[in-house]
Amino acid sequence: MTTHPDVTTAAEPAPSPQPTPAATVPRPPRRTVRTASWYAVALLISSVMVLPILWMIGIALKGHSAVFQIPPRLLPDEFHFENFIDGPKAIHFPRLLLNSLVITGLSVMGGVMTSMMAGYALSRLRFPGRKVWFYAFVGSMMLPPVVGIIPLFQLFKDIGWYDTWLPLIVPAWLGGNPLFIYLARQYFLSVPYSIDEAAKMDGAGHVRIFFSVMLPITRPAWITMAILAFQFSWNDYLNPLIYLYSSEKWPLSVGMASFVTGFAGQTPDWNLYMAANLLYMLPPLAVFFVAQRYFIQGLSALGTVNQR
Amino acid sequence: MAPALVGFTAFVVYPLIRSAYFALTRYNGLTAPTFVGLDNFRRMFTTDPSFWPSVRATLLLVVLYVPLSLVIGLALAVFCNRHMRGVRMVRTLIYLPVVLPVVATITLWKFVFNPQVGLANQVLSWLHLPTSEWLSGSGSAIPSIVIVMLWSVGSTMIIFLAALQAVPTELYDAARIDGAGPRTVFFRITLPLISPIMVLQVVLQLVTALQTFNQPKILSPDNQGGPGFSTRVLMLSIYNHGFPTLGRVAEFGYASAQVWVLFLVIVVVIAATARFSSIWTYSDHAS
Repeated sequence: MTTHPDVTTAAEPAPSPQPTPAATVPRPPRRTVRTASWYAVALLISSVMVLPILWMIGIALKGHSAVFQIPPRLLPDEFHFENFIDGPKAIHFPRLLLNSLVITGLSVMGGVMTSMMAGYALSRLRFPGRKVWFYAFVGSMMLPPVVGIIPLFQLFKDIGWYDTWLPLIVPAWLGGNPLFIYLARQYFLSVPYSIDEAAKMDGAGHVRIFFSVMLPITRPAWITMAILAFQFSWNDYLNPLIYLYSSEKWPLSVGMASFVTGFAGQTPDWNLYMAANLLYMLPPLAVFFVAQRYFIQGLSALGTVNQR
Repeated sequence: MAPALVGFTAFVVYPLIRSAYFALTRYNGLTAPTFVGLDNFRRMFTTDPSFWPSVRATLLLVVLYVPLSLVIGLALAVFCNRHMRGVRMVRTLIYLPVVLPVVATITLWKFVFNPQVGLANQVLSWLHLPTSEWLSGSGSAIPSIVIVMLWSVGSTMIIFLAALQAVPTELYDAARIDGAGPRTVFFRITLPLISPIMVLQVVLQLVTALQTFNQPKILSPDNQGGPGFSTRVLMLSIYNHGFPTLGRVAEFGYASAQVWVLFLVIVVVIAATARFSSIWTYSDHAS
């Protein structure tokens, strides 16, 4: 695995400036072996990664008894597509989905808007203590969320937000994500000031500049943020678990988990469960394939935050 | 800007102070907290039978997961960092589990690890290897959880991949002209050049692994960190004390004390890495 990353580049039929008589000559055997072994390893890795998902799809299509058949079979004998209707029905999937959509939608909107505004302020406005606030934000990125769990729970309980969606949504609107603020500020700093000046010359105020000049320019930044926020909220399990007591308010994460934990009281019908689980996976998958570029950008942004 | 300031105070400053205070009190969330000094810490270190096992579970998880995730992530990144036909497809497939909702993957793996009909034992028996009881064995429970977490190694890979692609190719060419073999090139050029990202990854992975919650919570058979205390990591212990099952009284004071232990461990880890990283990271400008 420790081979030179570019060693096989030459094996590709890349356009090269030199005349290539090599095209007709058979490739040297060593290189062929290397290419073949690369594909063999690639196949192995991919199948390890994908096997659980394929197996899950297999389960989702099986009948009730076939799931617990011994010895187990990999492929279902008969396809039960009705699992995709019965499964979601059995676990109140539509309601959980709606809850998740509302919670995620609102917190993504809030998180992105507030962070963009805060980032704009930190990079463009002059106000006392600007530097201090910036370092405070950066410092708090390192603060592990676990510290806040109990005091925040108490706080939200005291103001009567226990068992409501507010603790899951409002923090995002109040800039509860310092990482986003940091990313936004960095992005705004890379926008040349001449653009601001031109807009100011035309008589635009900060609000105007922000909405009609900055938002269109910084589109890649906020799409990336929106995707990160979406993933975070869609995946979040601990917070809804703590704050939401009544099952009709649960988002998908808590709802889906409750059916495999002891909470529901019995072992679920795994075929129905897996069918619903597949549906739960679809929205993030769709986002991923539509906006793959931003997805990767967001991840690299996370990884290189401290590089600048 | 104003909302962010309000948010900062409410969600960062306030909790920090409050939780430090709670850690020194006995508090059930219903009646007012009573100040008890360091009693919570005394109980934790001397009498609580579950504290040291949960420290052990946490450390075991970190020691297994972090090095494996870094090594596998880097190996996959090196593997995918070439111009082969279909390399994008391989990359996407490795990254796919990261995209899926965490809870969905965890519940999927819970069934994969089912000793009778699960995929894990099926595969082992095809390969004529001894099967395991996975999550229900006290010795195999943490390794099983690590396997579930390693399935999402794609996130580590992507970051390393970005780092690898930032290494200038001239350096590789120069090294090859000087007669360096692939092994030398990797250890003398690639690794030093990506070492800043490596340090960052070490810190991020350590901090994340120390706060693992979802996997042990959903995967352990009793959802409390069983069997025994084998998967009761610190986060789960905090949760169990602070937010117990119906009918039991919450112990916010004691849970906060554990939060502070975990928090201090995290601070020490970050400080230590920052202190020692300057020794073995490469930097191209004298600073």
